[in-house]
Amino acid sequence: MALTREPSLPAKRDRDEVVKPIVVPNTLWDSSNPLAYDGGRPSEITHLAEIERSGAAARDDARWNGALEIIPTKADYVLDLLRANSLWPLLSGLACCAIEMMSAATSVNDMDRWGMFPFRASPRQADVLIVAGTCTTKMAGPLVRLWEQMPEPKWCVAMGDCTCSGGRYKRSYSTIQGIDRIMPVDVYVPGCPPRPEGLIYGMMKLQQLVKDRRGHWPERAIGPTVPDGI
Amino acid sequence: MTTAQHPGSHASADDPRVTLDEQIGVFEPIPPYPPRTEREAEFYTLGDGEMFINIGPQHPSTHGVLRVVLKIRGEQVVDLDPVLGYLHRGVEKLCENADYHQAICYTDPLEYVSSLFMEWAPVIAFEKLLDVQVPRRAEYIRVLTGELNRVMSHIMFVGWMALDLGGLTPILWGFIERDEIVEMLAGVTGQRMLFNYYRIGGVNGDLNHDFMSRLGRWMSHATSQLEAELALLNENEIFVRRMRGLGVVDSETALRMCLSGPNLRATGVPFDVRRAHPYSVYPELDFDVVTRAEGDCLARYLLRMDEIRQSIRIIDQCLHEMPDGPVIAKLPRLLRPRPGRAYAAVEGPRGQYATYAISDGTDQPFRMRIHDPSFVNLQTVGLVMPGNLVADTMAVMASLDPIMGGVDK
Repeated sequence: MALTREPSLPAKRDRDEVVKPIVVPNTLWDSSNPLAYDGGRPSEITHLAEIERSGAAARDDARWNGALEIIPTKADYVLDLLRANSLWPLLSGLACCAIEMMSAATSVNDMDRWGMFPFRASPRQADVLIVAGTCTTKMAGPLVRLWEQMPEPKWCVAMGDCTCSGGRYKRSYSTIQGIDRIMPVDVYVPGCPPRPEGLIYGMMKLQQLVKDRRGHWPERAIGPTVPDGI
Repeated sequence: MTTAQHPGSHASADDPRVTLDEQIGVFEPIPPYPPRTEREAEFYTLGDGEMFINIGPQHPSTHGVLRVVLKIRGEQVVDLDPVLGYLHRGVEKLCENADYHQAICYTDPLEYVSSLFMEWAPVIAFEKLLDVQVPRRAEYIRVLTGELNRVMSHIMFVGWMALDLGGLTPILWGFIERDEIVEMLAGVTGQRMLFNYYRIGGVNGDLNHDFMSRLGRWMSHATSQLEAELALLNENEIFVRRMRGLGVVDSETALRMCLSGPNLRATGVPFDVRRAHPYSVYPELDFDVVTRAEGDCLARYLLRMDEIRQSIRIIDQCLHEMPDGPVIAKLPRLLRPRPGRAYAAVEGPRGQYATYAISDGTDQPFRMRIHDPSFVNLQTVGLVMPGNLVADTMAVMASLDPIMGGVDK
């Protein structure tokens, strides 16, 4: 299995761009008046116009009373919002930083508050691989295997100096000097070890990155993708 | 490793675009080479109705990157083969290429739960090489911070052990205490986890107001908080009945396997380095060497809880008897000890941490051997496990409390 990093990121394409959601203020909305949508003009989007003409949107639902009923946006944006707010990390600690990762997940610094908590024991259920601790040459194979076992889309956070660059064990004969030699990394959190707040900040950066469609996995799709030309 | 994907590029060790073309069969339980020893040949031959099951190196209950190959018959463990080295960082070799101050920095991440003890042993060994007289206040500060670290380590042991048995609450409660102690030590050492506080001839800095106020606040509620925490497990019948009589080690086996620390004292042998080979100011302090006779997992757990109480007693005495004075001896910046060898051992939360340093008269140690109790304690699993259930492997291993950083060095 070839695991290669491209020398440069591919050019940005039109379909990568995120459509900002159109938020209609509540004061303008009157569900009995279809013209109230989009600032009083009738909608140009066909299926929305059909919904308005049918009167289904005008139903005064108690659950959505006074709130927005339709927000036209890209489904990708909604999916990214969901992905960013439920990042499930893999419960995989290599060395010292794992203790601080556990500290970030437990009572005092509660990562759950930002939707980063449920540490999964299986790579099949995880979104984020937090590489916490020194990666040795013997552990490199299992680590790459873990990364390959994770379903796409997936992200990698390098926690600690050892995984960022080698850190204090850079001169050792048995360590990998930075895990970006063996797998793509989205966020680097330096420190020996970083404080739990540092990890949480790094995960927040990752959330921003997911929403912005940046990093090593800009082309996110659900299910298998077919390469160009096939 | 090849760089066939990038023709024309210069392949070098610093090239980040390393490609892995080979499939690495790391999760195959049977090694891809012919057996090297008789033991290996015997272990990797399956009998009637037996099968292999591979645990690790990534497993939430192995306390790091330990890999264990279990040979099971049904639900019973017949034999097991631990595979080590997934965290081998080559520390002993690094220490030979660092000067005496830097060597301490390399050793403390070995024991990342109680790193002060892994600093303490080499520091004492180097002080013996240099014939340094450590100020008494520095010794008291070492004992004070060391015992705090021991409490922290034992609290995390409780959390992990309960987690391996399926209880989530103790680790959530334990980390509250742990973070409190760690923040307190960070106030005086400047680092949260790998403190790097003990220096040759003393400690890095004097106790400050931040530390003392945090310590006072913690001491005021530590005992009651810990008792409440322990009641969670001590009065839990599921926990107690599961741990009682599990993984019994008798005292003869324990001595033969060179166990140390709480695992040895849980078998009834009252060996404590603080009393047997006193160092620092421990002879002046009043504390008990707690022992238990049963030698099972429950005894190992209860013994550590008793040790927490003794540690709080020692901290209290240190606070009352701490003298004034300097905290570090005056030493030149470049240390060149006389040629010779020195051995030092300290009692840590997992047992006897020891360092054997050889000096050849230069500013770097000629050889530095690090003895870690986790490695020695872990080999008892092979004796204890055969005949037990698969699910009890993690319970036994958790009760021995190994730290893989120390096992693999």
